[in-house]
Amino acid sequence: MNALLEKLLRSKVFIWTLLILPGLWPVVPLLRHDPTVGADPLKYLLHHLGFVACVLLAAVLTLTPLRVIFPKSKLALALNRHRRLVGVSAFVYAALHLATHLVHEGGFGVLASDIKKPFLLTGLIAFTLLLVLAVTSLNRLVRALGAKHWKMLHRLAYVAAALAAYHQAAARKLFPMQVLWIFVPLALLEIVRLVITRRQRNRALTPSGAARTG
Amino acid sequence: MNIRTPKDWELSESAVTSESVYRLRNRRDFLKTVGVGLAGAALGPRALLAATAGFPDKENPLYPASALKPTAYEYITSYNNFYEFGTDKDGPAKYANQGWKTDPWTVELAGLIRAPGKFDVNELIKKLGGIEQRVYRHRCVEAWSMVVPWDGFPLAKLVALADPKPEAKYVKFTSFLDPKSAVGQQDSYLGWPYVEGLRMDEATHELAFIATGIYGKTLPNQNGAPLRLVTPWKYGFKGIKSIGKIEFTDKEPYNTWQRLAPNEYGFYANVNPNVDHPRWSQGSERVIGGGIFSGRQTTLMFNGYEKQVASLYKGLDLTKNF
Repeated sequence: MNALLEKLLRSKVFIWTLLILPGLWPVVPLLRHDPTVGADPLKYLLHHLGFVACVLLAAVLTLTPLRVIFPKSKLALALNRHRRLVGVSAFVYAALHLATHLVHEGGFGVLASDIKKPFLLTGLIAFTLLLVLAVTSLNRLVRALGAKHWKMLHRLAYVAAALAAYHQAAARKLFPMQVLWIFVPLALLEIVRLVITRRQRNRALTPSGAARTG
Repeated sequence: MNIRTPKDWELSESAVTSESVYRLRNRRDFLKTVGVGLAGAALGPRALLAATAGFPDKENPLYPASALKPTAYEYITSYNNFYEFGTDKDGPAKYANQGWKTDPWTVELAGLIRAPGKFDVNELIKKLGGIEQRVYRHRCVEAWSMVVPWDGFPLAKLVALADPKPEAKYVKFTSFLDPKSAVGQQDSYLGWPYVEGLRMDEATHELAFIATGIYGKTLPNQNGAPLRLVTPWKYGFKGIKSIGKIEFTDKEPYNTWQRLAPNEYGFYANVNPNVDHPRWSQGSERVIGGGIFSGRQTTLMFNGYEKQVASLYKGLDLTKNF
């Protein structure tokens, strides 16, 4: 990996910029007076923010598999340093998406009917999970929970991702292909990662019962 | 806003009903005919004989422009569901205007009728006595709404022309099939061409309308040129676009959206705030073009046309027959 890329990936400012840019993107069609966006600007914002939240959630979950599958890769290692930042930004976009939904639907009152619909309920549950994960990513709470419990709790990220995939799939009249582009690569990476980890564990426990080396 | 008020020079009623042909071939013809004036009966089959942009034909006084606030033309023509041209709202405006020809166009009348045949659209409009303007509410099943000043003719006139036999109980509409021009049709998953249907009493109801234009301008391709069904008391997907065939049958047509998701879309598709879509509520709607702070509007029973159409559905369980 060349020196410039390494430097950039080490910079929190660079990562912050990459994460904020998608949030600023809606300004483009607004400045262009795009009538398709102007017709219902909140709907456009809603779909855009939801899309970004899903991409970031899937992205953060690919980091560990990439490190497992490519243990020697400097790139994978460098990306893994930003897991918390990317994860929390997924939550932030999800929160903005929910806020836009509430404004688009005219207030908190809509939540009462939302919970009766599976499509909307899964979104709310996924958001709640992300909220818990974001809050428990604070250093103080990481220490308070302890490594084992924190790890167990943060496995909920996979549940949130599955719910987000369903929620996104149910959002349009017809199934949107983008759900596949976002979540299938993640699923494949996870499968490969599980196979590798399983193999490492089995290798460590040789038939003669020798000590684990992993 | 292109809402017109009656002007002193406008055509007398007899001239309009016998001679208005609503085909605006292209900008060149339009400019020519404006110069020649409204007496230009001899301009040829494609010439515009009646109104031009901004001051359409004749406003039907039962459906006045003043009562509703029409949505801006740019939104009506760039926020479209026309999956033949992609599933994004901006797809149709882009892809439906890249060479797809909707002029000339033939419509076929077929089935249990006494006067079947194939008609050129312009001939058909002339035969039916010309064009009028109606301002209707439009409610999409996705819970957004517009107000559209349509130009066109009552469907009832077309039904009368077809002269249905007594066995005919339904009208089945079929759209076009042209995968070369319509990129969305290259994927057969949705099952093209698009099909819709109405009961005979719905088709002959005074509100049922065939649109040939919007705001006094010829219907743009993305809005379903050259002929599009408008049934304002039903969800927008009932408004089949670019009609190619109108067939009178004794069997309830299996409309496309019902075939795709029968638990979500039915044959009747009546706007009903009390019957939710399985995935979202139908109690309110977003007004297109209202801006960020416009909030939502309560959805009205039959989209506000309850007085006119409720009698059609007396005794029908609207929750089961959605």
